[in-house]
Amino acid sequence: MEFPDIIAYAVPAFLVLVIVEIVAARLTGRGRYEAGDSAASLAMGFGSQLAPLFGGAAILLALFMAAYEFRLTTIPNTWWAVLLCFVLDDFRYYWWHRISHERRWFWASHVVHHSSQHYNLTTALRQPWTGNILGSILFKTPLVFLGFHPAMVAFVGAINLLYQFWIHTELIDRMGPFEWLFNTPSHHRVHHATNPRYLDANYAGTLIVWDRLFGTFVPEDRHEKPRYGIIKNLGTYNPLVISFHEWIGIAKDVSKAKSLKEVAGYAFGPPGWSPDGSRLTSKLIKERWARTHGEEAAAELAPAPSPAAQPAE
Amino acid sequence: MTGDLLIDSLISVAAIALMVGVAWAFFRAPAQPVTEAAAAERLAFDEPDFRPVRWLADAKGRAVIAEGADGDVAVVSRLGTDLVTRRFPAGAVRASAETGALTIRPGDPGSRRLVIEAEGAAEWARKLGAAGVN
Repeated sequence: MEFPDIIAYAVPAFLVLVIVEIVAARLTGRGRYEAGDSAASLAMGFGSQLAPLFGGAAILLALFMAAYEFRLTTIPNTWWAVLLCFVLDDFRYYWWHRISHERRWFWASHVVHHSSQHYNLTTALRQPWTGNILGSILFKTPLVFLGFHPAMVAFVGAINLLYQFWIHTELIDRMGPFEWLFNTPSHHRVHHATNPRYLDANYAGTLIVWDRLFGTFVPEDRHEKPRYGIIKNLGTYNPLVISFHEWIGIAKDVSKAKSLKEVAGYAFGPPGWSPDGSRLTSKLIKERWARTHGEEAAAELAPAPSPAAQPAE
Repeated sequence: MTGDLLIDSLISVAAIALMVGVAWAFFRAPAQPVTEAAAAERLAFDEPDFRPVRWLADAKGRAVIAEGADGDVAVVSRLGTDLVTRRFPAGAVRASAETGALTIRPGDPGSRRLVIEAEGAAEWARKLGAAGVN
């Protein structure tokens, strides 16, 4: 079974779809564009394709391929294996994505994707340049150790990435029963929003079931329009600032740290962590919101009771 | 850089230029000045516990600075059609008066220097300077 480079085939479609979205957004009023913002997003996407050439990607790729030599078993390259690999990779993606939001070291790279105050198809292409610093490809090696061929793992990863392109739009509203199982524009708008009720939600790649399963699913509320971006939005479209601002922030904080605990907190704690609690993590923002929005908000933030804790009927 | 990579890169740059050009053509709009009302609305979302009591708006509409009831200072500036806010504890703003304008250096890696030209800029600069870093 051959695994084509589907991203390469998809690039012309990206161009056409972005132009279609711009025209449709203008005509319908659903969605908005800003040339400077789009230029920044597309420059980030372009740079993310070139960055691996400078970031030791070849070594990481070699390690990824070498893992196959130590596989537990050999899974044949069949359609059912591709399907299984896709589901397992999507599960892996959920956790990888969640960690990318919950730990500043990973957030420093992923923040790039969230740094636009717009939500359109060019936002999908706003990708980090520093993924290789994190060795993100190595997080896929468990699938290779299991016995899936590296080419298959790369192929399903590419499908997942492509799937996530079209959901970055305000043009599509709700999608009925499709929303039960799959990540959709509505679910992903929530993920990109900074409204307190929407923070830290909907980490799914393709299947939204992971969020439903692990308690991170939040539906889009028709009465609360998402406001996109990050907690401290950037004041510039400069790609270098977009790419490195959080890394610089970590370096500055670590340089001022007074103990190893503080170093660890600044680098690997939740984004917004500070030793004296003077900065806001998303948890603190949600708590502040709950305090000012009463019981209904507090109930929304309370963890769902586990099945064992629910009263028997 | 190989020849193929160079050609691919040039095609990509041309495609980016086309998309940005179409976005500009369909969504171009004159820059809206940052008003107190717009700044207050944005601050209410970003900093819901900030209660502005005093404002200074740039004559060219580039930014607005507000002093809060708790002594904190917030700055709202323009980025395209969007607004960007920063809040500082009292005494932590790097501000100075330069040729009748209040210049603020937020100091975080995601911000840029902001200039507010307005009557009263010098007074704000003195007050902020007296309160903290200058």
